[in-house]
Amino acid sequence: MPSDFPMKDPQKIWQSQPTERLKMSASDLRRKALERQSKARFEALSTIIIGIILCVVFAWSFARAHNTLARMGWGLLSLCGIYIAYHAYKWIWPGDLPEEAPISTCLEFYRRALERRRDYQHRWWRSGLPFFLLLGMAMAGLGTGARNAALQHPLLNALPFFLILAVWAVAFFLMRKKLGRENLQGEIEELRAFERENR
Amino acid sequence: MGSNYLKCARARTIPAGDMNQDSLYEQAADTYGSSLDRLARAYEFETEVRRDLLQEIHFQLWRSFAHFDGRCSLRTWVYRVAHNVATAHMIRQRRIRDRLASIETIEAMPDSSDHGELAATEVEALDRFSMLIQRLKPLDRQIIVSYLEGMDASSIGELTGLSPANIAMKVHRIKNILRRWFVEGGLHAE
Repeated sequence: MPSDFPMKDPQKIWQSQPTERLKMSASDLRRKALERQSKARFEALSTIIIGIILCVVFAWSFARAHNTLARMGWGLLSLCGIYIAYHAYKWIWPGDLPEEAPISTCLEFYRRALERRRDYQHRWWRSGLPFFLLLGMAMAGLGTGARNAALQHPLLNALPFFLILAVWAVAFFLMRKKLGRENLQGEIEELRAFERENR
Repeated sequence: MGSNYLKCARARTIPAGDMNQDSLYEQAADTYGSSLDRLARAYEFETEVRRDLLQEIHFQLWRSFAHFDGRCSLRTWVYRVAHNVATAHMIRQRRIRDRLASIETIEAMPDSSDHGELAATEVEALDRFSMLIQRLKPLDRQIIVSYLEGMDASSIGELTGLSPANIAMKVHRIKNILRRWFVEGGLHAE
């Protein structure tokens, strides 16, 4: 290693690295803003449409079902369709950086971003949606199975449905465990402690 | 809002209403263009994704200037937006889940054999910077990048929301780490 190697000043090395200067023109920026707006609108509309389709399909099954249990199941699934659309719409729409970004400190911004993420996850689990989905599927499946099995072997007939339900439930708990591992709360508490310390 | 909100009134501020969004963005891109590229490198190591991140930083910067009211220096504004966009990118990419460490943790780690030798070239040195920065949590990443960009403790404090004393302590630790990782005793005196 040469003795005059500028390793003595990390700041100098960092600042002298080759960079790619980017400067967007005003028209490019405006075009990008419009594109984003259109994309966000399209995503929100697609989600609403999917939710409405699900809701209509389940409502149609509800209307056609003769068994009370199946009707209740389809009705519940239909309501879940509306809720999924609403929930996704609410969280897909805000694609831009929150307006507080330039005026809140990096510490505050980071904590709020983590809190938003944590709240999103909590809201999903606490809404009870997974439970209502499972219940709706079970009711619709059992009700339909009972009718189609000519009242002979309703449970045997509904076996494929229960197998799918079991796989779904396992995936559900595995996903929950994985999300729990993220341990956002610990990070948030650490940042809050920093904020208290620096007030 | 907390007490840190708009706690950025400093010297070198620009009078409100004198400049419009486009000219402010142009000024920022001209003055801080290279710094923003280096900042993007500290948050994203894949070239293509980094270009997207840099473009996103520029775009959000331009958007933010619609609300710029001159109560804050242009530099603070630019770095806050850039760091916050990059942090949001990390969260979106779920990098937060990675095992990131604090400056304190890295300082306490014993030297590993791969860093034991001196960096022979600037390219190697920059690789080591990347390795070090990649391991850090967002807040500490903001501090080390700001330090490497030559900002003083009070400016970094203004940017991050940590007290200058806390920043000074962290910068001291950063210097220790750099000294260990690069060349023992080769750094400038504090």
